Amino acid sequence: MKNNFSINGLLCRKSGVRSSLLLFLALAASLPSLHADALADARARFSDGEFDKAVKFYEQALETRDPSASVFYELGRTFSKTGNEARAALNFRRALVLDPRFVPAAKALRESNVALGIPPETPGWRATVLERLPMDALTIGGAAAFWLGAFVALFAVRARRRGRLAAGAVLVLAGVAALAVVWRCDPRISLRTEAMVLKNGGTQMLGTPADQSEKLAAMPEGSLVRILSQRGHWFYGRLPGGTHGWFLTEGIVPVIPPA
Amino acid sequence: MALILTLFVAAPVVRAQEVSCELNSNESRVGEPVQLVVTLRGARGAEVPQTIPVDGLRINLAGRSTQFEMNNFKLSSTITYTYMVVPLFDGDFTIPPFEIRIDKKVVRTEAIRLSVHGGARAPSSPTLPPVPGLSNPQLPPSAGSRSANDRQPYFAELLLTKKKAFVGEIIPAELRFYFNARYGGQVGERPNFSGEGFTVQKFPNAEKREQVIDGESYVVFVFKTAVTPVKSGLLQIPAARLDARLQVPGNAPQGLSDFFNNFGGAIPPGMFSNTREVALETKPVQIEVSALPKDGRPDDFSGAVGKFTLEATVSPKKAAAGEPVTLRATVSGQGNLEAMGPPTLTGDEGWRSYPPTDKLQSVDATGFTGEKTFEFPIIARQDQTQTPGLSFSYFDPVAGKYATLTQAPLPVVAKAGSPAATATGSAAPQPAASATPPPVATPPDISTMAGGATNWSSLLFRKGFLAANAGVAILWLGLLVAFAVKAFAGSVAGRQMARRKKIKEMLGRARQAEPDVFYELAAGFVCARLGAEGDFFAATGRINASPLPDSLKASLLRVLERHEESKYAAGSAIRPAVDERNDVLAALAEFNSKYEK
Repeated sequence: MKNNFSINGLLCRKSGVRSSLLLFLALAASLPSLHADALADARARFSDGEFDKAVKFYEQALETRDPSASVFYELGRTFSKTGNEARAALNFRRALVLDPRFVPAAKALRESNVALGIPPETPGWRATVLERLPMDALTIGGAAAFWLGAFVALFAVRARRRGRLAAGAVLVLAGVAALAVVWRCDPRISLRTEAMVLKNGGTQMLGTPADQSEKLAAMPEGSLVRILSQRGHWFYGRLPGGTHGWFLTEGIVPVIPPA
Repeated sequence: MALILTLFVAAPVVRAQEVSCELNSNESRVGEPVQLVVTLRGARGAEVPQTIPVDGLRINLAGRSTQFEMNNFKLSSTITYTYMVVPLFDGDFTIPPFEIRIDKKVVRTEAIRLSVHGGARAPSSPTLPPVPGLSNPQLPPSAGSRSANDRQPYFAELLLTKKKAFVGEIIPAELRFYFNARYGGQVGERPNFSGEGFTVQKFPNAEKREQVIDGESYVVFVFKTAVTPVKSGLLQIPAARLDARLQVPGNAPQGLSDFFNNFGGAIPPGMFSNTREVALETKPVQIEVSALPKDGRPDDFSGAVGKFTLEATVSPKKAAAGEPVTLRATVSGQGNLEAMGPPTLTGDEGWRSYPPTDKLQSVDATGFTGEKTFEFPIIARQDQTQTPGLSFSYFDPVAGKYATLTQAPLPVVAKAGSPAATATGSAAPQPAASATPPPVATPPDISTMAGGATNWSSLLFRKGFLAANAGVAILWLGLLVAFAVKAFAGSVAGRQMARRKKIKEMLGRARQAEPDVFYELAAGFVCARLGAEGDFFAATGRINASPLPDSLKASLLRVLERHEESKYAAGSAIRPAVDERNDVLAALAEFNSKYEK
C-alpha cells in the first residue's frame, strides 16, 4: 500500500512537472501574442476615444516587451489627448532617445513644450549629428575601423611597410573619433542622468536641502534637469542654464527608465 | 538735500575746578544734535541750569548719571550732566560760560565755540531721513511743549506716502516704533500688520536709529514696507502692533536708600528696574482708493501701475535656421513690478514666439523701485531682418491716466528654420486637450514611424558588443606577441641567446654522456663554445690564440685529440677513466666560465 502510494505519488509528480512544463511552453509561446494584444487593445481604445484605458494598455505593452520608439510615441500622443502634456513630453522624449531621427516625435515634443511654456531647445551640433548618423551603426563602424586599422598596422610593422602603417593609423584614429562622437551624442548616454519635472505646477530649486531654504529657480512642469546626486528625498542637480541646487524627488522622473 | 557742514570748535574741552565740559562732536549741521557733557568729580550733588540760552541753538538738559568708586574705603562719585544741543541755523556760535553750584561753591565753565553751516531745517522735525514721497510725516505724539518727565516712554506711528491711491498702486510706508533712550528692553522681530482690502509687502529686518525729539533721545525701530490696495473705496488701514519688553525704573528696597543717604549720595539711576510687557500700536489710517478707469484702457494693459520706462536688446544678432533668438525687454521704474505682466510683441507675424521668462531686480527692500526683465524666445518662421516690436501699457497714478511705451523692432538676421517649420502651425501656446475627449480620435500614423533602438543601453555598453571587441582584442594581442617573439628570435640578441642555450645543453649532455661518446660530446662542446662547430682545425687555432691558462689549453687540446683518436679507432672508442673524466669536466667548466671574459 505504501509502495503503491509512493508510485502513484511519483507518477502524479511526474505528471505535474510535465503539465507545468507544457503550461510554461504554452505561455512562452503566447507572450508575443499577449504583447500584440495589449498594443492592439491600446490602439483600439485610442481609436474609440477611450484615452485613459489606452494609456493603461500602452503601459502594459511596454512592460512586457522591448522598448519601442513607436509605442512611446503613441503613448505620448495618448497622454496629450488626456491633457497631460508633461507626461506626453516625457514619452515623446523617450521615443527620441530610442530613435533620435523620429521626426513625428520631435514635432510632437515641440508642441508639448509650447503647451507647457517650456522654451525651445537650441539645436546644436549633436542634433545635427543625430539627424544624419544612426548611433548603433556608427558604433559598429567605429569599432570595425579601429580593429581593422589595428590589424593593418600590426602586419605593416611586421612587414616593414610604412604606407600600410599610416593607413592603419588613420583607420584607428577614425574609429576612435567615431566612438567619441557616439559617446557625446548618443542620447542613451548623454541623457542617462536627465530627468523631467512631472509635478503639477512644477517645483522649486533650493539652495540647500531644506524646505525653508533660499529659492534659486523655478522648475516648471515639463522642464529637464540633470541629476547629480541624491540625499534622502532630495536630489542635487543642474538646470540647463547652469544653476545648481536641491529639489525634492517627488514628481521627478528619469527620462531613461531605470532598469 | 543734506549739506555737508564744516564745523570748528575752538576749545572742545574746558576745564574748571572739579568740572569738565566738552562737546561729543566737533561737527554738526542744522537740526543735527550734539551732546554737551558736563562732568563733576568728587561732588555729591550740583545745581545746573535746565537750559542754556544761545541764539540759534537750543540747549536743554537731557539727563544726569552718577558713578560711584570705592578706593581705600573712600567713596567718591562722578556726576555727569548731558545737554542736547540742537543747531537751529547755520553760522558760528558760542556757548557762553554758565554757572554750576556745587554745595556752596560756584564754578564757571569756559565758553565753547561751535560753527554750523547748512540749509535751514525745521528744528522740531525728526532727524530720520524722509520716506521717499512722504510729504507730511506725522509728528510723534510726544512732540510738543510737554516736559521730558511727562513724555511717553514709547509710541509708534505709521507713515504713508499718500492718502489717495488707485487699486494696485504700491504705497511705500514706514512703521516707526519709538523707545525713550533712557529705558532698555527688547522688541519683537516683526510687527503685526494686516487687514482687509490691501496687501502688505514682506517686512525686511528693522533699521535701528537714534532720534532726538524736543531734546529727548529716542531709539527708533523702522520697518519699511509697502501697502497695495486691492479694492476701491475708503480703505481703513488698521493699527500695526509691535510687542516689546521694557526695563522701567523701579524703587529701591527700603533701607538701601538710607544706606546711600548716609554716604551723602543718592542711589544711582537705573540700579533698580522693573520689566514691563508693552505693545506699541500705530494709529489707524484711512486711504481713499479709486478703481482704475475703464476709459482709455489699452488692450495690452497687464496691470502695471506706476511709472516705468522700457528698453530692449536682442541676442544673438545672427541666428541660423531654426536657432532661437532672445528678445530681452527691461521695464524699469517705480510701481508694482512684481505683479505686472510682460510687454506684448507687435509685428511678430513672421516669428514664432514662446511665453517669456522674467526676472525681478529691486533696489529697495519693498520691491517698489527696480527693473523687471522679460526674455522672449522667438524663432523666425520666415527669413527676418528685424525682431518684433514691443508694447507695454501701464497706469500712471500721478497723471491719473494710462500710458503706452513702445519699442521699435531691433535689427537681427535670422533665417527660417526647418525644425520650426515642421512644428506647430500656431505660435501661441496650445491649450490642453479637453478632459472629455471626442468619441472618435485619429489613431497615430504608424506608417511614418521609424524603428529605432529596442534597448535603453547604448551599443557601447552592451555585453555582446563588449565580448566581441574583447575577442578581437585578444586575437590582436596574440598576433602581436607571436610577431614579437619571432622578430626577437631572428635578431642578433635572439641568436646569441639561442647559442648560449645550446652550449649549455651540450655541456649538460657531456656530463651525462656514456663513456663511449664522452669525448665526442666534450669536443663538440669545445668547438661550439669556440664558435667553430665541427672544425677541429679552427678550434685548435683559437685555443692556442686565446689568453686561457696553458694548463687549460693543454686539457682542451687533449680533449680534441682524444676525440680524433676515438673517431679513427675503428669501432673501439676511448673510454676515459673516472678521474680523467672528472678532470675533463672540470676543465670544460673552467673553460666555459673563463672564455671571452
